[in-house]
Amino acid sequence: MKETLLLTKHMRENPENSHLIDVYEKNNGYSAARKVFKENNPGEVIEEIKTSNIRGRGGAGFPTGVKWGFLAEDEERYLVINADESEPGTFKDRILLERDPHQLIEGIIVTSFASNISKAFIYIRGEYAKPARRVQDAVEQAYEKGYLGKNIFDSGKDLDVVVHLGAGAYICGEETALLNSLEGRRGEPRLKPPYFPAVKGLYNKPTLVNNVETISSVPWIINNSGKDYAKLGVEGSTGTRIFSLSGHVNNPGNFEIEMGCSFGEFIDTFGNGIKENKTVKAFIPGGASAPWFTGEMLDIKMTIDDVANAGSMLGSGAVVVMDEDTNLVLAAKSIVSFFAHESCGQCTPCREGTTWLEMILERISSGRGRASDIDLLLDVCDNISPGLAWPPQMTTICPLGPSAVSPITSLMGSFREEVESLLPKKVLINND
Amino acid sequence: MTENIKFTVNGNELEAKSGELLIEACEKSGIHIPRFCWHKRLDPVGMCRMCLVEVETPRGKALVPSCTTEITEDLVVDTESAVVTKAQEGILEFLLINHPLDCPVCDKAGECPLQDQTMAYGPGESRFVEEKRHFEKPIPISEIILLDRERCILCARCTRFSDEISGDPLIEFIQRGNKTEVNTFPDEPFRSYFSGNTVQICPVGALTSTSYRFKARPWDLKKVSSTCNCCSVGCSIELNTSQNKMLRILGEDNEFTNQGWLSDKGRYNFDYLHSENRVLNILSKEEDSFSKISISDATEMIKNKIAELDNPNIKFILGSSSTNEEYFVINEIANYLNKDKFLSKDSSNIYFGDDLLFEGYFGDQYSQAKLEDLDSSETIVVWAEDIKDNLPILYLRIKKAVKNGSKLIVFGHTNTAIAGLADFYFGKDIVSNKFELIRNPNEIEDLKNNIEGKKVTVITGKSTVFQKKESLDKLINYLNEKAELKVFNSFSKGNTFGALQNIDEVKGLNEFCNEFDTNAKNIVFTIGVNPVNSSYFSQKIKENLIASDFVISLDLFVNETTELADLILPTTSLGEKEGTVTNMEMRVMKQNKILPAPGSTLSEWEYLVSILNVLGENVNYKNEIEINNYLSEQYKNQEKVPTFDNLNKPSNLFGVLNKKDININIKDLKEDNFSLLMVRRLYGDSSTQINSPSISMLGAHKFIELNSTTAKKYGINSKVGNFIQGPNSILINIEINEYLPDDLVIAPINRRGFEDIDPSLDFNITEAKNREELNVN
Amino acid sequence: MTWDSKLIDRANQIIELYPQKRSALGPLLYLAQEKEGYIDDDSVVEISKLIGITEVQVRSVASFYTMYKQEPSGKYLISVCKSISCEINNSREVIESIKEFTGLANNETDVDNTFTFEEVECIGACGGAPAVQVNYETVEGMTPTKALELCKYLKEEVPKVIVADHLQDKFGGTKSFDWAIEDNSGTSSTAPGFQIIGTSEEN
Ligand SMILES: Cc1cc2nc3c(=O)[nH]c(=O)nc-3n(C[C@H](O)[C@H](O)[C@H](O)COP(=O)(O)O)c2cc1C
Ligand code: SF4
Ligand code: FES
Repeated sequence: MKETLLLTKHMRENPENSHLIDVYEKNNGYSAARKVFKENNPGEVIEEIKTSNIRGRGGAGFPTGVKWGFLAEDEERYLVINADESEPGTFKDRILLERDPHQLIEGIIVTSFASNISKAFIYIRGEYAKPARRVQDAVEQAYEKGYLGKNIFDSGKDLDVVVHLGAGAYICGEETALLNSLEGRRGEPRLKPPYFPAVKGLYNKPTLVNNVETISSVPWIINNSGKDYAKLGVEGSTGTRIFSLSGHVNNPGNFEIEMGCSFGEFIDTFGNGIKENKTVKAFIPGGASAPWFTGEMLDIKMTIDDVANAGSMLGSGAVVVMDEDTNLVLAAKSIVSFFAHESCGQCTPCREGTTWLEMILERISSGRGRASDIDLLLDVCDNISPGLAWPPQMTTICPLGPSAVSPITSLMGSFREEVESLLPKKVLINND
Repeated sequence: MTENIKFTVNGNELEAKSGELLIEACEKSGIHIPRFCWHKRLDPVGMCRMCLVEVETPRGKALVPSCTTEITEDLVVDTESAVVTKAQEGILEFLLINHPLDCPVCDKAGECPLQDQTMAYGPGESRFVEEKRHFEKPIPISEIILLDRERCILCARCTRFSDEISGDPLIEFIQRGNKTEVNTFPDEPFRSYFSGNTVQICPVGALTSTSYRFKARPWDLKKVSSTCNCCSVGCSIELNTSQNKMLRILGEDNEFTNQGWLSDKGRYNFDYLHSENRVLNILSKEEDSFSKISISDATEMIKNKIAELDNPNIKFILGSSSTNEEYFVINEIANYLNKDKFLSKDSSNIYFGDDLLFEGYFGDQYSQAKLEDLDSSETIVVWAEDIKDNLPILYLRIKKAVKNGSKLIVFGHTNTAIAGLADFYFGKDIVSNKFELIRNPNEIEDLKNNIEGKKVTVITGKSTVFQKKESLDKLINYLNEKAELKVFNSFSKGNTFGALQNIDEVKGLNEFCNEFDTNAKNIVFTIGVNPVNSSYFSQKIKENLIASDFVISLDLFVNETTELADLILPTTSLGEKEGTVTNMEMRVMKQNKILPAPGSTLSEWEYLVSILNVLGENVNYKNEIEINNYLSEQYKNQEKVPTFDNLNKPSNLFGVLNKKDININIKDLKEDNFSLLMVRRLYGDSSTQINSPSISMLGAHKFIELNSTTAKKYGINSKVGNFIQGPNSILINIEINEYLPDDLVIAPINRRGFEDIDPSLDFNITEAKNREELNVN
Repeated sequence: MTWDSKLIDRANQIIELYPQKRSALGPLLYLAQEKEGYIDDDSVVEISKLIGITEVQVRSVASFYTMYKQEPSGKYLISVCKSISCEINNSREVIESIKEFTGLANNETDVDNTFTFEEVECIGACGGAPAVQVNYETVEGMTPTKALELCKYLKEEVPKVIVADHLQDKFGGTKSFDWAIEDNSGTSSTAPGFQIIGTSEEN
């Protein structure tokens, strides 16, 4: 099994300086941008993306071409690149920003052409200072070349790109929270409906919000074709995806593959096996919000649908491997703490519930648990995510609250004894 | 009108308007869905999640908040399913885990939605064994509001109110997630004219007012609906008393007028009722001191004085807090006393104590506006005294209309509070420092574009006592000609419209001073008015009262005016009397009685009727109802006659009265010093406010406003200075207001220290010198 | 401290980039942080004037985000990740060793204002777990020993500019991915080394 290099090809081939515009251009860079201005009308570009069947790489997996197709008519429309990558386990956008910023900018140019947009924002999480510098440098280079600014590529069209830094709030990855943040507000998710910013987004204007990886894929699709892209991967999960592999593996990192292989294959081939030759106790298939799989489930295929059918999600493409010696209660607590810390605080169940869960897990993991705590944990979870089903029902505005439920249901589902072993025995009032 | 559509709730088919919110539509059909964050007058935020219900979707049942879900055709809703009940219980448990449950010491207990809903929907006992979130117990966030962050359930009602409704976002969520709290910025207290509304809509006891704190339990309260008399909007209120003390005033949600809101003045200006300074006995002045006398002695004294002075001039200066019934009786007595004297109509003897009274735009050629007209106006034009200070709820209604798309055009230099809302603010290039319209209305493009052929509501009145009617005429005639126009005459004080409706002819204080003949014999009645304080004409009125032969004051307090009286007849006030008042839309509304008249006080009409009887005119009104019946007679041709009877029926609470002839007789003031404009602020040193401890300090802030060029001219750089005129020197704050034209200084006329300032004379402003001086209020 | 005209000019340039003034709030808060090490009240007042919202609205937004510091921070802000990939790769021990060296608990600043220590959520360096940031410059593949060396270095050498690549060379281990040619960019304040207009080093 091998990687299929689309998005990471350029950076692999130019390990020293793939982020510089000259190097990028020498390797066929900005050809997709030139091509669409010369050969295409916007509708054709959207069609090409639709044909590619690419689905958003930010987590929700919504078909990108369809989303572009929704964009409401308006004189003012915006493109916002979601580079807030903050889901624990995920670091794939970071490599795209740091190592191939021009690919992203080229994607932005093509997307803006397709959707008749003249102002784009790249919202990069604040902790990504270095990637942001790289992107800003690249943006400035592109301005100098006339690829951004007024009358780009002599097309008569204008396009401005602003790099905007977040400031430490995972929730701003949620697209409507991101828009609030970009408007200079608290990063609180907006109410749905409207379901898509494409109808009412930044400053209440139609706005496309797409993930870095999604838009970075656009130049390849245009240079080749939507059809060629769709040939890669499997139906419903076409193309390649950059998976971030971390945890107890020998060789963590980002790997670009066609979707469709199994997790076990992926971990063995690219992660080079588990550290100290241990076995896998559990792994997270798609970022911290995703329910865990156990070591017995390594055969599941890495496609959006297979993972969903098995009760989790491919999400942000982050695979976190936990070996046989992992203290799963602490692991779950780490994730629950994450969501408690990152809750925006709007909704009662998320604000109060996630913190409460964290407190209970803290108690259990430090040996102060009560026999009734398992039921309590599950019932608090149920009040955040009724029925504890997957995909979750929610009593909240956005999926962050229910995300904190995933590790607990995973823990209780497959590793209940591990929790019970930390608790005093239930006193059974039983006559026989 | 959108058509009704059908939807199903708990198996029953119901109807609603398309797009209506589920929570509201259910409520109308008697299905109550619990909620905390949702408030009918605020934009929904769906944050507390208490109102979750189940709806059917193509992918099965889903929990949705009913406060943000709009009704669609054939929506199927379950508000009582097991999933819904479980979710609601869960939410309540979440809300309670960090709530202190200090109900025994909480003002809200007994009327607390959290408490009520915990009873109705809540879990039995708490499973939360950890430590609750802690905050410092109540912190004052303004002079009148306290915040207890531990009790807060973060429903965002207060923050939304101050952002969306009142437009002074001075309280906000701070921090995030589980650490979120509501707070103010350290040096910026929650100083809003409308802050009390947040206390009223807070669903727990997180926001409390200093005035009501620990005063009563809701179950001890006696309540009655009434109408606020602080300004002519006539907000609907609920008076709450206990043991014959007024403890609280709440806003009632009257769709036509205040829509639930009140200004803090209207809400908190009532402690004076129980002030120890209140006059409770009839006082007669001998030498220089007052002594108690009986009502019969008092009326005799008046009769004798009239006889003794042998056909004196008898004049009345009126305030704005009388009821329609009282104005009616005042009109009667004035006519009676002068019946032999004045034959022609323009020699009436009634003066209204408002510097900004003007002739108004009444009569058939003008269409009188109603507050609801603002909502459907394409353009709203304001050229009047400062709306925010003088008609605060009108300000909110204008703000709301603007938010919903009406264009706002503001003229003049004194209405700068509203300038921030305005699409077009017409300052110095269009209006001179003398308040003349310098340009022809139809030459002002921005005006033309938003007026011609549009639905327009204008709020017009004098911005200052100097303003001549000519300029207003020019504007109003233009608007009337070019637009579909509705007119508000901005007489902001209390029941001014009631006075105008019930008195044959009204003149102003300028006319009083001009007509006062010091060589003649004069008797002056002042009724609920203090013109010696906070009038442009104060000094002259004071001289005239001193020169009068006999002054009779009907009032609540000894103040700058009544201390000049020979006889003080102590009167009743809000909640102590019954009657009707007429608001700026000419809507007649009821004031109700819930407190006994204190001491030997009587209502104004009772004194006047006694006097008439002593004078030999047999009038026999035994109570307010009889006067009202008589007064209503003149409206009997109308569809709705504002009798007490029908005003008390909730379904018919507020009749709108067609005006009868209104006669206002005002003469323009002659040219004067235009560099100092004295304007009335919401809070000031009125005798009622000064005697209401919980808000009296709000009227203490002394400040002037000018633009930076003018400040430079005076050589002022600091924020503090001295305002100097003759022997008077007042320590003031200096506020730079760039909306003002050059060479114009604005000062409050109703603030302590300014009572001796004469706007017609020269003055100077200097910087405050030493640091101690900087410590002004 | 109030803002001088140079800073205000820069602020206005940033405001220009956005269709609506309020959008510049985030970048302006970073200007304040760069200058003062935290969001001080005076800056809040300046910013509120520049973009036309109230002070408490500025505070409300600033306090939502963990990177806008509400309290003065030390010269070096050391942030150690404790999210899942770092957690299971022993970030606790890294945390302990930094705590021991600095004597600081979570979110504390030492008396001579050298260090502020904080435990943070995922910083996107999971492939190089456990990872640390110094003034938002990332160092991957940390160990408790290397963390000590890093602290010592900061304390003794007091570098003016913090550069991720330099720290990684000296103290780092496994990286999330190949970082490409060495890059000398970095930061000289506790604000991230990025400004839309003008880099932090210029100031
Ligand atoms: C809590 C939460 C966090 C999210 N974080 C991110 C993120 O960090 N990056 C991202 O691209 N999308 C994130 N998303 C998904 C975005 O809301 C949105 O779906 C995505 O940016 C759309 O782009 P795509 O269609 O290209 O995937 C998040 C969603 C949620 C609910
Ligand atoms: S679920 Fe949590 S993060 Fe999402 S909107 Fe509600 S409180 Fe905010
Ligand atoms: S009332 Fe609907 S969410 Fe609060």
